[in-house]
Amino acid sequence: MNIELLLFLILIVPLIISGLIWFLKKDLKILTSIHLGGAIIEAILGLAAVASVVNGKTYFIFDQMLFLDAVGGVFVTLIAITGVLVNIYSIKYMQWQVESAHITEKDVKLFFSLSHLFIFTMTFSVLANNIVLMWVAIEATTLSSVFMVAINKGKKSTESAWKYIVICSIGLAFALYATVLLYSAGFSVINDSHSTMLWTTLMSHAKEINSDALKLIFVFALIGFGTKAGFAPTHTWLPDVHSEGPAPASAMLSGILLKCALLGLVRYYAIVGNSTLGFEFVQSVMIVSGLLTVFVAALFLIKQHDVKRMFAYHSIAHMGVIAVGLGFGGFLGIFAALFHTLAHSFTKALAFCVTGNIQKIYGTRNMEKMGGMIKIAPITAILFGIAVCSLVGVPGFAIFVSEFYIIQEAISSGGYIPVALFIIGLIIIFIADFSHYNLATFGQSKTEVQCGEVERKANAPLIALAALIIIFGIFTVDSWVSLLNSAVKIIIGV
Amino acid sequence: MLDLLSILSIAIIITSLGVFSLRNYQFSIYTYAVQTFILVSIFFTLAFRFDAEQLSIWGMIAFFTKVVFIPMLLLKLVKKLDVKSEDEPVSGFFISPIIAMGFSLAISMAIYPIYLEFSLIKEAIPLMASITVFMMGIFGFILRNSAIKQILAYCMFENGIHLSLALMAYNSPEIAELGILTDAIFAVVIMSILAQRFFKYFGSLDVSKANELKG
Repeated sequence: MNIELLLFLILIVPLIISGLIWFLKKDLKILTSIHLGGAIIEAILGLAAVASVVNGKTYFIFDQMLFLDAVGGVFVTLIAITGVLVNIYSIKYMQWQVESAHITEKDVKLFFSLSHLFIFTMTFSVLANNIVLMWVAIEATTLSSVFMVAINKGKKSTESAWKYIVICSIGLAFALYATVLLYSAGFSVINDSHSTMLWTTLMSHAKEINSDALKLIFVFALIGFGTKAGFAPTHTWLPDVHSEGPAPASAMLSGILLKCALLGLVRYYAIVGNSTLGFEFVQSVMIVSGLLTVFVAALFLIKQHDVKRMFAYHSIAHMGVIAVGLGFGGFLGIFAALFHTLAHSFTKALAFCVTGNIQKIYGTRNMEKMGGMIKIAPITAILFGIAVCSLVGVPGFAIFVSEFYIIQEAISSGGYIPVALFIIGLIIIFIADFSHYNLATFGQSKTEVQCGEVERKANAPLIALAALIIIFGIFTVDSWVSLLNSAVKIIIGV
Repeated sequence: MLDLLSILSIAIIITSLGVFSLRNYQFSIYTYAVQTFILVSIFFTLAFRFDAEQLSIWGMIAFFTKVVFIPMLLLKLVKKLDVKSEDEPVSGFFISPIIAMGFSLAISMAIYPIYLEFSLIKEAIPLMASITVFMMGIFGFILRNSAIKQILAYCMFENGIHLSLALMAYNSPEIAELGILTDAIFAVVIMSILAQRFFKYFGSLDVSKANELKG
């Protein structure tokens, strides 16, 4: 298929599916078939598009306003794979919610429709070459997902949705300021209104843009996109939203959305890094922000007994890990940061979907009340274990690979103090997690168990995610490594 | 002697204080409408003086969306919820506007020289106004507890950004302005729906009462 057509399709198909679900009658069978079929088509189209940019080619559409390069390819991969598996899981999850009268069929219809709209906005943010459109798309991700989070009505859900829209909107206002400033500073050099908006043109003229302005722009971009990505200290919306939203919404938010916001920051990181300032400025800012984020998350993790809040703090911690990777920089550091986006996406999608199972089995999210999961629901317990092992960086699981590379880069570049702090942060997370996992998995359950192991159909996408975590942890997936190599070259301007 | 542009810029700063401070929701919303009308007037003044034709189109779009549609939506919300005055803000009704305006002006004084360097239209007072209105919006979120006042704060920092855009990037392609505006309208609609839900569950619009989640 023509790549330009493919780019158009990966953008437009989710929008069509969303509209279709929105306008159809609320017959759950038909809606589910369209939701499932749509999710699979979106994934196939996404992966086909990524295949075209593995070797570093870049394709443009709509007068260069949209494009797909290897950096975008990394993120389209997350949207395609994590998106489809979470969307498949959401079918069973929503069925349970309707059965337990937590939501109505009308809510399911809304959720399915919004989940495809959400995929559309995230894909849009990844494909945008125009920096304003990228901002518009990232803001639109908040707007399209807010009612996915607040699908369960009630006090807590409303509070979390309000926090989400307010904090992210304030944060992104700073990102918009960064965008306006970058355009303005870029225009004085490029002198063409259309191309000054394009990331590709700004990259090629980065050295001519005023360096003082770029410093301010990067700080504004960090506040803006960093808020949405969950960096401390503006991370406070994240634990509330992830803990209150339905499991598939949390999985999608944590698995994909945070990374899309991060991509916004990576684009600015690349421009400023390729300017006369060099990478030193952006790296030092990222390392401070990353370490702060890892520590804040690690400290909050210790006292978390709510399984969803625990995983939410993990999302923050791992966004910190990615920031630290970008902070150490170098080819390997950026490679590791990008690898981590995928590793974390699969792991976190699995983790949050497992919490869906856990809530169905125990009817609670409090790990202190659980126990004996290994006997009650062995597959869920194993999947939970795989998620936790990967999250804490056990060798053989995907996250270990990227964390290992980050530490390797840090040591070779001589950043001993930051790396020591980074390792301490990871150790705190390791201890906190395993103690929680033990509470939930072994011993006696302190609550009335609602049901045993969940249906195979529900577990199938989770097993696929677990398999991917192990595959990426053990094997070298050549096409993925080529894609990452091409992406890193674009970022460092080689 | 101040010219028209500077007078309008100072007026937009004064209205931001009004939107922020007025306790009565209706007055606050009307002041916001006046502020946006001044913004539209600035767009037309800039369009005329600097031969920036795009800004007259922006002005017209902003008139229908921000002077007419958004205030109407908010007035309808206030009527539906049957609320008149806002709840006590952080640090009180008297102090919070002083804090907000003081800090907003200070920040705008510190930053505007950088903006001036790159702005397409190099006018100091309008640039300061754009930063002040933006910061008043940010402080509105931080210091005011009422959900409706927070929506107005969002609308206000949006006005600040639009003024910055007009001064610094008026020649940007229309799609950029349209995209930002569309997002803003959806955001206000969604926030209004959530404010209604908030009122239903908490019996008040005071967001500080929502403290079941610990962040």
